[in-house]
Amino acid sequence: MATVDERREDDGRRQRVERRSGRLSHRTQRRLKCVALYLTALLVSVFTVVPVYIMVVIALQTPEATFAGGRVNLLPTELSLRNFSVLLAETDTVRYFVNSLVVTSSSTLLSTTIAVAAGYGLTRFEFRGKSVAARAVLFSYMFSPIVLAIPLYVIFYALGLLNSYFALTLALTAISAPFCIWLMWQYFQTVPLALEESAWVRGAGRWRTVRDVVLPVARPGYISAAIFAFAVAWNDFTMARVVMSQDEMYTITVGASLFLDRVTIGWGETMAVSLLISIPPFCIALFLQRYLLQGFSVGGLE
Amino acid sequence: MSVSAGLRTRLDRGRDVDGATLLLLACFVPLFAFFAVVWLVPILYALGMSLFESPVRNPAFVGVGNYVELLATASFWSFLWNSVTYAFWTTALSLVVGLGLALVVNQQIRGGSALRTMMIFPYLLPTLVVIFIWKFILDANIGILNQYLVAWGLVDQPIAFFSTIKWAMPAVVVASVWKFGSFSFFILLARLQAIDTDLYERARVEGATTWQAFRDITFPHLRGAILIILLVRGIWMFNKFDIIYLSTRGGPLQETTTLPIRVYQLAFNEVNFGLATAMAGIMFFLLAGVAVVYFRAFSPESEVAN
Repeated sequence: MATVDERREDDGRRQRVERRSGRLSHRTQRRLKCVALYLTALLVSVFTVVPVYIMVVIALQTPEATFAGGRVNLLPTELSLRNFSVLLAETDTVRYFVNSLVVTSSSTLLSTTIAVAAGYGLTRFEFRGKSVAARAVLFSYMFSPIVLAIPLYVIFYALGLLNSYFALTLALTAISAPFCIWLMWQYFQTVPLALEESAWVRGAGRWRTVRDVVLPVARPGYISAAIFAFAVAWNDFTMARVVMSQDEMYTITVGASLFLDRVTIGWGETMAVSLLISIPPFCIALFLQRYLLQGFSVGGLE
Repeated sequence: MSVSAGLRTRLDRGRDVDGATLLLLACFVPLFAFFAVVWLVPILYALGMSLFESPVRNPAFVGVGNYVELLATASFWSFLWNSVTYAFWTTALSLVVGLGLALVVNQQIRGGSALRTMMIFPYLLPTLVVIFIWKFILDANIGILNQYLVAWGLVDQPIAFFSTIKWAMPAVVVASVWKFGSFSFFILLARLQAIDTDLYERARVEGATTWQAFRDITFPHLRGAILIILLVRGIWMFNKFDIIYLSTRGGPLQETTTLPIRVYQLAFNEVNFGLATAMAGIMFFLLAGVAVVYFRAFSPESEVAN
């Protein structure tokens, strides 16, 4: 904290500097800057929010209301759930949704489990070639899913595993696991070794130490890993498109991507299914924002 | 100790050796099994397939023939160029948008935290939803953008953005920047908030302009983050498949056909797994090349390797 005297001295110096330079006065400068700031903020909010708003409004009003008068009306006069009922009656949205839930949750579980085990092992065990392991994990994190999808398709085809939850779970985990491992690896390094050692000294075995000391402490770490794995699997289009070729096995993203080609499905229903797909990620953001930002700060999410 | 000589645990106290061995196995067996099944085997398999003509049925060994064939066709280079164009513009614009907004939010403006929350929306929406929304906004018949462009007399006729040669790439880029701009934003904002505010106070007292303060204080602190964004975001956008496939399928007239799109077409539309895996192989080697630069420049693994 600066004392009053120091602050007064600062102000005096600043004014002297301003008088010397022939620029705009500090106050005008600050006002201009303020206007520019709020203008930018406004522009970006419009750019960010308007598309989301469009989705919500069109999903929640009837197509007749949306397109009344030959133009798009974005101020809803009355809300209706008609688009959702058409969606449920005319399409397999429910089945696609269930497929998505099954593969997303199994992939999240698998990815997080591997990441916790590997992260702990890589932190607590010493071995040569550790930096090679780190590079391998990071390298696979940058890999293109489509490049991996082609050989996986051929292998699953040969093994008769196409169109199975198992195959898609493996494929989805392949793209989420590298970052989850990286995240847990970094996270376990923040867990002090002394914590485990003191449990040891008190006679707890290795497994008990892991179960009762390490895992509870690592909870924020594996929650953010699980969020990431969930987001990757739920958002995925590429892997599901390649691995699932039967209509009844489509995930919601693949199933819904075909809606626009169908005569019976219009923009209202398309935005309604968009809203449905967006609900799980939004719930996560709402309840787990703290963990989400933590994931960002560790190394950036895809 | 029964654990192999190369592996030594920091927690070792010379007892509970069986527990240690089991724990070691429990940590690494899933990792190695998983990496072998979903990474090592498929990649080696793909590299093997790329040496054959029609590798699924009646394979014929052609060595590097598929690679030579690809590199010798002009279309390969135009697909590569499309990938680079797409990666360049999406990365550059995400960086500019992300930096601009991070600088704004970092100032103590009213509603700054609301703005930060809003920035996460596009990022959370699944790619398919992002494309649905932008297809609707940019639609030629009912699109809201065309509606305004025509009403304000900026264009005579509505533009079918995703299906005209001139506009397809810009439209895909805008949709991509809308979704991924927040990636740069959050990383840069985190760095900005780590800068000591005393530095700015001192610069102001010394009479530095806003621009000078940015150049001498802000930018040096952000340089590392900007490089990472350029490199990592660039790699990801170069590899992006879903956004382009869902919006244009690589059209019109292959205007937006990037390498990932072409790999998919070769494999699943033309059932030519030899050429498809060869192209995937080229992408793999390109990525490996960039990764070497990345590891040299940042040695990111040093964060966890010690």
